[in-house]
Amino acid sequence: MADTISLYVHIPFCTVKCGYCDFNAYAGSDHLIPAYSQALIKEAQLWRKATENRPVTTVFFGGGTPSLMPVEEMRTVVDGLRSAFDIAADAEFSLEANPNSLDEPYLAGLLGLGFNRLSIGVQSFHDEELKALDREHSASEAGDAFRAARSAGFTNVSIDLMFGLPEQEMSSWQGSIEEALELEPDHISLYALTVEPGTPLARDVARGRTPSPNPDAQADQYEWTEERLEKAAYEHYEISNWAKPGYRCEHNLTYWRCREYLGLGAGAHSYLDGARFAVAALPTKYLELVDESFKSLENGSDTKMRQVVSGESVTPELDMADTLILGLRLIEGVSLPDFHEGFGVDALERFSEELSEPFEFSLVEHVDAHLRLTPKGRLLGNEVFARLLPD
Amino acid sequence: MERSHIRNFCIIAHIDHGKSTLADRFLEQTGLTRGSRVEVEQVLDSMDLERERGVTIKAKAVRLPYKADDGDDYQLNLIDTPGHVDFSYEVSRALAACEGAVLVVDASQGIQAQTIANVYVAMEHNLAIIPVVNKIDLQGADPEAVASQICDVIGFSRDEVLLASAKEGIGTPEILQAVVRLVPPPSGDEAAPLRALVFDSKYDSYKGVIAYVRVIDGSVERGHRLRMMSADIAIEALEIGSLTPGPVPADRLATGEVGYVATGLKDVGLCRVGDTLTDAEQPAAEPLPGYEEAKPMVFSGLYPTQPNDFGPLREALEKLRLNDAALSFEPETSVALGPGFRCGYLGLLHMEIVQERLEREYDLDLLITAPSVEYRVRKTNGEEIVIDNPAALPPPTEVMEIAEPWMTITVVCPDRYIGAVMELVTGRRGVFDKMEYLQGEASRQNEDSVQAGERRVSLQYQIPLAEILVDFHDKLKSMTQGYASLDYAFSHYEAAKLQKLDILVNSEPVDALSLITHSENAHAQGKQLVQRLRQLIPRQLFDVPIQAAVGGRIVARETVRALRKNVLAKCYGGDVTRKRKLLEKQKAGKKRMKRVGNVEIPQEAFMAVLRLERKS
Ligand SMILES: Nc1nc2c(ncn2[C@@H]2O[C@H](COP(=O)(O)OP(=O)(O)O)[C@@H](O)[C@H]2O)c(=O)[nH]1
Ligand code: SF4
Repeated sequence: MADTISLYVHIPFCTVKCGYCDFNAYAGSDHLIPAYSQALIKEAQLWRKATENRPVTTVFFGGGTPSLMPVEEMRTVVDGLRSAFDIAADAEFSLEANPNSLDEPYLAGLLGLGFNRLSIGVQSFHDEELKALDREHSASEAGDAFRAARSAGFTNVSIDLMFGLPEQEMSSWQGSIEEALELEPDHISLYALTVEPGTPLARDVARGRTPSPNPDAQADQYEWTEERLEKAAYEHYEISNWAKPGYRCEHNLTYWRCREYLGLGAGAHSYLDGARFAVAALPTKYLELVDESFKSLENGSDTKMRQVVSGESVTPELDMADTLILGLRLIEGVSLPDFHEGFGVDALERFSEELSEPFEFSLVEHVDAHLRLTPKGRLLGNEVFARLLPD
Repeated sequence: MERSHIRNFCIIAHIDHGKSTLADRFLEQTGLTRGSRVEVEQVLDSMDLERERGVTIKAKAVRLPYKADDGDDYQLNLIDTPGHVDFSYEVSRALAACEGAVLVVDASQGIQAQTIANVYVAMEHNLAIIPVVNKIDLQGADPEAVASQICDVIGFSRDEVLLASAKEGIGTPEILQAVVRLVPPPSGDEAAPLRALVFDSKYDSYKGVIAYVRVIDGSVERGHRLRMMSADIAIEALEIGSLTPGPVPADRLATGEVGYVATGLKDVGLCRVGDTLTDAEQPAAEPLPGYEEAKPMVFSGLYPTQPNDFGPLREALEKLRLNDAALSFEPETSVALGPGFRCGYLGLLHMEIVQERLEREYDLDLLITAPSVEYRVRKTNGEEIVIDNPAALPPPTEVMEIAEPWMTITVVCPDRYIGAVMELVTGRRGVFDKMEYLQGEASRQNEDSVQAGERRVSLQYQIPLAEILVDFHDKLKSMTQGYASLDYAFSHYEAAKLQKLDILVNSEPVDALSLITHSENAHAQGKQLVQRLRQLIPRQLFDVPIQAAVGGRIVARETVRALRKNVLAKCYGGDVTRKRKLLEKQKAGKKRMKRVGNVEIPQEAFMAVLRLERKS
């Protein structure tokens, strides 16, 4: 098999835990970083055989806050990855970063390691909003970080912003977008604030200390933004993502196109050889399990992946649903001929019942041999996706 | 056992006044259990639901071997009585099986409305009554005040009232002695043909229906062919015996004895409480008096949320009815909800128990429509019909008159709450009958000790049943800080200005949301109902108008605005499984709703009418 794969590396460390965040991220565990780097290298070795002959076309360091890793630590990890995997010379090599302490020397160091894409978690260009989100940086630091990335030599820089914050005025959101546009990022990701169960934000909302985000206001903001970014010559290519031509995030496209990827690190997810699986989320547990697996591999006793703690094999039925659900997130939608080639059935026929209401209420449309969400459908994606799930 | 040494009695008590604890003590005293509370609970209070609600739904009996102070051995039969007013017929049959009753009143609470009602029934049956003030060990107890209250209300002299603490075991021997001394032994004709009163029955999967009986005349012999007189069916006494507390088979139950008869029947409906068992060869001429058919008072529609659960729902109802002869149901079809059942219950508590058991024990997702009473409708063409479903009310042009059931209710509470109770009752079309102070002559001398506003009164009203179906009891409790108790009984039918309120969702009438209401309230209730529904019906993919109509005229309208945003933001680092889980949750949420036309309506919406305020 000469299929390419993507590589995701999870760095679960943050300086503080943001109130809305339910990612696998931990504050105050920085002391684990050296051991964690070593574990990543070992885990890479564990997967070496299974991914032989599969060139890696994208690498993505996500978190957490990967930019918390000192350059030297990063070098160890990146070298480890290169020795275990066949990483293409022109691979997209991304890193998620928070604006605080992103200075030019550090960024230049990353560039030297081969990173060629940077995604900065700005979230807002208003200090009071940043504070409400528990973010550690200020609006001006975000701008500084962006400029530092440019002057260090990054030619592919993305900005993340969050909309639909509680009580956020449209004008405030518009201000953040305009500030972002001034910086001329190559890529923009916009996420609506979601109240995730179990987070401090969810508790505040439940106790009435914070109003819950208003979905109608979020819809208004989203619609305004779509127009604004189009004017600014960004291509809307996925529900939450916009890019200048040629700057789409190749790594994330592998998810939406339902292609395979390997995730390394605590709580990382993979889709490999037709199975989806996840690694132990707790960093200390992860370290312990990787170590055990690695020892067994070294002394030749077994090749068990003890760090993998859950998984499911993807049945053709599930695969079809995943392909549609993920693919519909792309603005271009799902290519019907490709679907037919992959599954031997016609998607519109096979899902005619499930899609009848989405068609009736103009949530989806059939255009240019693609099934795709309409602009209205982009805001109501779940209504379509939930219907496509197998029973 | 010599008939002169048999005593059949029961305990009359308000919920939580200590009936189970006292029964527990009786068992201990007579050596049946070694103080194991759990076992006793199993004896008298076995269903989980009963325990949670603090009511005993099914009466059972325990035989206690007792050596009295006179040195003789006695057979005491303790017959348990249901503790809720919905089961007043069952209580009356249990009382009819006894010659005596121990009246237990909590020393900190005083006598309650239902208790008084039950004591009156016991008196009608000529039962010897042994009044006991329980919980005298409690800090806030006022045994003397409660004793004098009992004397005033029921007419005892103070020295007849016993003081006890069931918890500490204080007074238990005295109570048992009083039972032996004061409760007369059973009378009855040993030579007459068998007549045994069924005071309870239950379905047992091994033995079939078990009848709990009190032999009035003659005797039951094992293996004899018997007859249920009212049901008019033949049975065989496959096994007979007594409960001590487990079943102990015997060959014979003699005149005056209490025990069980395994009938082999498959349907408790054929072995109804109050029926008379007689001998098939030598039948009695007349059954025992007092038998009544089960008379449902409250009705509601039960619909499976998923249409293919109709079969399982029917099976579940059939199984429930095996053990609950008072439950009635028949298939009905709602235009909006499809096929389901119309169920009849003895009362609201009975309804809640049935619904909870269906969901808990049979794991069914149900849609329950608001409870309704039975209306008698006289049509313009002279025809009279009875309806228990608002949807079945003919159009106004065909209706001459609608009559609804009225109840007599009695509220007992401290007199400082008279105003609050009066307001609550008259706000629901209730009419005042009479008021009595429960402290009379006997306690006049220590009147000073009773604080102003603390004297207990009994208030009696007439009120439409429909007005107390929903939240009346809760409101009464909260307005009186839990001090009021309530008793109710059917009174009569009365014509009223009633109208049907229809609800239209997305311009389609939803029959299951219709209700019958008093004309005065119709507009205000229509308005409130559409407002509630607007909050309860989730936003759909299109605007959903919700309208209320009275007599074909729209009186209120609200709109559930179309949903605009429902999409997952993040990609979660490729965690597709998690994303799918979130979608599955959304999908499952939809499944729990009922699709009416194009609109998904959650269960709560069908109960919205329950939360309506009365007054315009
Ligand atoms: N302090 C005190 N508590 C009692 C006494 N008798 C019963 N209780 C308590 O009152 C509550 C209700 O008693 P229970 O026998 O279950 O009441 P039932 O509902 O009438 O059967 C329980 O918590 C008992 O422990 C008593 O004599 N003294
Ligand atoms: S920085 Fe990102 S990963 Fe870390 S806590 Fe905040 S939101 Fe979560």
